[in-house]
Amino acid sequence: MDNAATTRPYDDVLDTYMNVNRSYYFNTASIHQAGREAAKLLEASRRQVIDLMGLGNHDCVFTSGATESNNIAVQSVLRHKKPFGRTMLISELEHPSVINVAEAMKDEGFNVRYIRALSDGTVNMAHLGELLDDDVVFVTVMAVNNIVGSIQPIEKICEVLKQYPRVHFHVDATQAVGKIRVDYSEADSVSISAHKFHGVKGVGALMAKEVKTLSAITYGGGHEGNIRSGTVNLPGAAAMARALRISDEQLDESYTRVAAYNRQVREALDGFHAVQIQPSGVPHIMNISFTGAKGEVVVNALGSHDIFVSTTSACASKLSKLNETLLAMGNTQPVIEGSIRISFSSQTGDAEVKRLITALQAVHNEIGDVLK
Amino acid sequence: MIYDHILVRYGEITLKTRNRKMFINALRQNMKRALADFDVELNAHWDRAYITLGDEAPGAVMDALENVNGILSVSPVAKLERSEAAMKDTAVHFANGFGEGDTFKIEVKRADKSYHLKTFDIQQMLGGYVLDNVPKLEVDVKHPEHQIMVEVRIDGIYMYHEVRQCIGGLPIGTGGRALLMLSGGIDSPVAGLEVMKKGVEIEAIHFHSPPYTSPQATEKVKQLVDIMSKRTGADIKLHIVPFTELQTKIYDWIPDNMSMTTTRRIMLIIAERLAKQVDAKAIVNGENLGQVASQTLASMHAINAVTNFPVLRPLLTLEKNEIVAMARNYGTYETSVLPYEDCCTIFKPKSPKTKPVVEKVEKFESKVDFEPMIEKALAGIECYSVNDAEEKEAFRSLL
Repeated sequence: MDNAATTRPYDDVLDTYMNVNRSYYFNTASIHQAGREAAKLLEASRRQVIDLMGLGNHDCVFTSGATESNNIAVQSVLRHKKPFGRTMLISELEHPSVINVAEAMKDEGFNVRYIRALSDGTVNMAHLGELLDDDVVFVTVMAVNNIVGSIQPIEKICEVLKQYPRVHFHVDATQAVGKIRVDYSEADSVSISAHKFHGVKGVGALMAKEVKTLSAITYGGGHEGNIRSGTVNLPGAAAMARALRISDEQLDESYTRVAAYNRQVREALDGFHAVQIQPSGVPHIMNISFTGAKGEVVVNALGSHDIFVSTTSACASKLSKLNETLLAMGNTQPVIEGSIRISFSSQTGDAEVKRLITALQAVHNEIGDVLK
Repeated sequence: MIYDHILVRYGEITLKTRNRKMFINALRQNMKRALADFDVELNAHWDRAYITLGDEAPGAVMDALENVNGILSVSPVAKLERSEAAMKDTAVHFANGFGEGDTFKIEVKRADKSYHLKTFDIQQMLGGYVLDNVPKLEVDVKHPEHQIMVEVRIDGIYMYHEVRQCIGGLPIGTGGRALLMLSGGIDSPVAGLEVMKKGVEIEAIHFHSPPYTSPQATEKVKQLVDIMSKRTGADIKLHIVPFTELQTKIYDWIPDNMSMTTTRRIMLIIAERLAKQVDAKAIVNGENLGQVASQTLASMHAINAVTNFPVLRPLLTLEKNEIVAMARNYGTYETSVLPYEDCCTIFKPKSPKTKPVVEKVEKFESKVDFEPMIEKALAGIECYSVNDAEEKEAFRSLL
């Protein structure tokens, strides 16, 4: 129940990963016949990713994941845009792989301004309008938030930014892929990460409309158009292309199914006075607070029932500070401290959800006396 | 009897002198591509090329070379030791394959002048030997039906008798790039192949208007591209332009009898912009003077007014039956006549103007802002090529 942290690869995806490792293990930069075949497979994978993302006018650079994609986008585009302005706007809901690199860019003379969030976990469009001025060259907003699942108004933001042709709009689509369909075609760059949609770990992509605005942040042999050096992870890239196709094919069916699971959990917890559930975005992510308890305690209690959930964004859950997203949505400290995240995937089944509900009710009874 | 070489004679390359090397290099590349599936060795020299067969069948290798632009003819060649016996055996072997009562002649070239037999000696010796051993034949030195060729070289004697005519012309890629307007009819593929003969590399543009035009119509154009690619050994890229929005706008706004002229003008505008994108220096189409209303001189004048690009019309003055014969020869005819409507035939006006006036057409067009739709059409182009399709097929199980 922790699929927003990572997902189990589809069996077909693992088949591809193994088969490509067996038959196409060559370096895509080699000029011999075998290397050329591998390069062809890489390009076919690239085209499939671009097509499935609906980004026919974008180029695609394979990376090690969304963290690297976000880093390349933020660092290289800002440096490229420096002559035109020095301010970037990021939503306060962003993942650390955006926030932390943005903060680091302050050392290079850039300003970071945060777009406030509404209580439903979406960015405040009015505030975005206030923040936009001639010095803004970069705006980034995630497509789906990883803590509460709120869906950000990407298309609306694109519409607003049309009046600011100088602004590069970057979208971190990590949590959206395979869950909802978004029209990214107006975005200047988009990050994705394979392991969030049943691909393998260690591979992702950065798609960009104007690839010349991107540049390397690590230096090496000049792979991937000199933007991301290092022998290309072809098995991972091909497996990602396949995972994306399967995710896309099952999206409508699984959305309906997961939306029903979301409703079942909400109904089952209805009337538990200490339980507070954050407003829903994508049905795959639910953020539930056992007010008065510590999130960690709830996670461990559920763990003893063999139910695995997370406290906050898993990459950062070892940090003991209040969750930024929940804070930005105006939640109180007890609600934030008692929050857990339950996240479903296309592979989640009825029986698992039944067990989850039973476990949630049991845990509520077990720790009931600490709950106010 | 073993053929161990294929001799390749050049077409128009032989007219080139100072830049011949560039043409030979291009031909070498194209031959290499055409022979990718064979395990052969290729040596391209100043005046001809040799392919060393190894274990490959000569017939299959010649089939692969037959439609490579720039090759005049090919011959399967046997390389022998420099002995009279070997020459005699080979000559008789060739002659046994000739028909009853056929005439033949022995042709000798002595590249190695130190060989102990003179040209005339070899001719006499072999001619006599063949007549003695294959009595069904006669000699005719003026107009023989068969020529047995003997080339005496330092490293051996080369003999052949079969000459297979090929496509000739210049190697593709030496004449720049052009964009072919490919409708799916009989004429446009022929126009493309004619231009390719002159060494011009082709990319194709096709306009489709779903749902008015069927997926089969688009499939048919892809098939034509497959045929053209296979025939020439070039990987022709097809750009499929979504044209529905423009087509319906024209239909709604432009008077019926002028709609065809405007349609053609907008197609040409889009073709020109794509040509610039793909670095093509000309636009090619299958227009044929007076064949239909849009192909009268007045129509061409009105349509051509939107572009400064050279528009090449290789079929301009041919008769329809000539074009059909060419299409049959090129192997595009059967596909071209499949009964799927393209966007030109579906929106056909009842009585199109055969003499449109540019100023009038412009006046009507000025009432509509086509520009954003043109941009949208260009942005929505889908690409197809045989290589891509084969790759997709090859990697289908993985992706």
